[in-house]
Amino acid sequence: MSSLPGVTSAPVRAVPRRRASRVRGRGLVLGFLSVLFVTQVYPLLWLVIYSLKTNEEILSGSFFSLPHALQWVNYKEAYVSGTYLKYLFNSFFVTASTMAVVIVLCSMVAYAITRFRFKYASAVMLVFLVGIMIPLQATLLPLMIIFKHMGILNTYLALILPYISFSTPLAVFVLSGFMRTIPLEIEESAVMDGASITRTFRSIILPISVPPIMTVSILTFISIWNEYIMASTFISSQSLKTLPFGVYSFVSQYSVNYGAIGAFLVLGALPVILIYFVLSEKITKGMVAGAVKG
Amino acid sequence: MNALNVPKRTIALFVLPCLLLYILLVFIPILVSFYTSTLDWNGIGASRFIGLGNFKELFTKDPVFWPSVGRTLLFALFSMAEIPFALFVAILIGRYVRKPNFLVSSYFLPVILSVVVIGQLWKTIYNPASLGGMLNQLLMAVGLEHWTKPWLTDPKVAIFALFFVSLWQYLGYHVLIQFTGIQNIPSEIYEAAKIDGAEGLTADRYITLPMVLPIFKISIVLSVIGSLQAFDMIMVMTGGGPAHATDVISTHMYNMSFLSMRYGYGSAMASFLVMECLAATLLLIAVFKKLESKYA
Repeated sequence: MSSLPGVTSAPVRAVPRRRASRVRGRGLVLGFLSVLFVTQVYPLLWLVIYSLKTNEEILSGSFFSLPHALQWVNYKEAYVSGTYLKYLFNSFFVTASTMAVVIVLCSMVAYAITRFRFKYASAVMLVFLVGIMIPLQATLLPLMIIFKHMGILNTYLALILPYISFSTPLAVFVLSGFMRTIPLEIEESAVMDGASITRTFRSIILPISVPPIMTVSILTFISIWNEYIMASTFISSQSLKTLPFGVYSFVSQYSVNYGAIGAFLVLGALPVILIYFVLSEKITKGMVAGAVKG
Repeated sequence: MNALNVPKRTIALFVLPCLLLYILLVFIPILVSFYTSTLDWNGIGASRFIGLGNFKELFTKDPVFWPSVGRTLLFALFSMAEIPFALFVAILIGRYVRKPNFLVSSYFLPVILSVVVIGQLWKTIYNPASLGGMLNQLLMAVGLEHWTKPWLTDPKVAIFALFFVSLWQYLGYHVLIQFTGIQNIPSEIYEAAKIDGAEGLTADRYITLPMVLPIFKISIVLSVIGSLQAFDMIMVMTGGGPAHATDVISTHMYNMSFLSMRYGYGSAMASFLVMECLAATLLLIAVFKKLESKYA
């Protein structure tokens, strides 16, 4: 019991009966939490093992067994025939462009809403507020019709544009929530010194707002990097597919090469998992902040 | 006065790019779909105005629609039921685990993965044992062979198998939200309560629950809205099949729009979806307002 990582159990010797039952209760709780840990994490681990097996080993039905020889060839197969790098690049390009635009445009709007004196400030906020409740999939069909007319169906733009707009409301909330707390004196002294509003925004407000911008970046990154439905609806060229869509097409194409499918799924999950290992605290904090402010 | 006097041009410069883009890509499409919902149109040929004909067909003749609505609501119920469980887990972690961050961030891991990866992973897990499915192999290994099932192709259980995956994926999210909420309760309150003789469950009842209510509310709203919009997981795993057994409103809409090419009919369903989400959100806000004025 005391060997669980990060857990220290109460000293057991010579405890009164009430304490003893409490220790037992604690053991039960830790057991329960460990079971939950296994159900949440083991499927992912299982996938890694699965991806290193041969088809025969997978079909033989002994799911506890480890592969006899690690089948790195599955990864080679996935990597070569799945054009992994191309998908990775597309995902990266689309996500990065979306994030850049979202951060710039949304911090401008957030600043205007919280600081500028104009009649429609609360109306603008309301527009974003209502937008949060609109389900993304209701716009799929009309957007497809509109994009077709604009001639941008099956281009990067057909993904970046809707991604920007669907990341906007949350970003505006998080940013304006923060900017409201910046003391006005800071800007007043800057304006007094002759700095323009644009200048004040760029060299004072933006640098102060790095923490909420981090939050917005994380929220946008996670949702856009993982987005599948729009990509599969608006994109048809092999060379423009993002990673989730690419993974999906690979899986449906190579439906009998189980190990390679597993390998491609692992490769598909890898970028996010790596980032999560490095930034897990920032990511969890950002996601909670996004939830609480959204 | 907490505001700056700024020339109109500057205001426009700061506000319009984002606002226009947003209106163009969110509100205009919704209006377009309100309009196309009144058409009999396959997207290519001529369209014919039929007024509320699509809605009439949807509400009275479509055999798939109402069961889909039912499944959507059922899913919302399941998701709501998950939140108290997540709160329970969060309380346990907060009380019994000394260094909780590792555990909480492990629970959270599935949340950050794409539905495609999660969906395909669980599809593999649900596979028949002869195709390497882990769940059925596990059942066989512990001697529960008669429980083995083709989980995703049996119309009776498929929808629950899907619900489970979604609940599994988002459990960590809600645990994390509740856990953060509990951590933010000042420990002085618990110490004061201890002096007054309230500890453990009693303290939870009178301190943790009321203090965590705002966060609890957020989790509920997120999970209800999330389940009303449940879509991509189902598209990835079953596409609404077998024989519509796992269709929810949005998958039915997608299939009607993009597979049957009934743009007008699909738009009618999209419009329904928008109204339903707005109504559900307003309803939830009203319910919580009432609860809060009663208990806070």
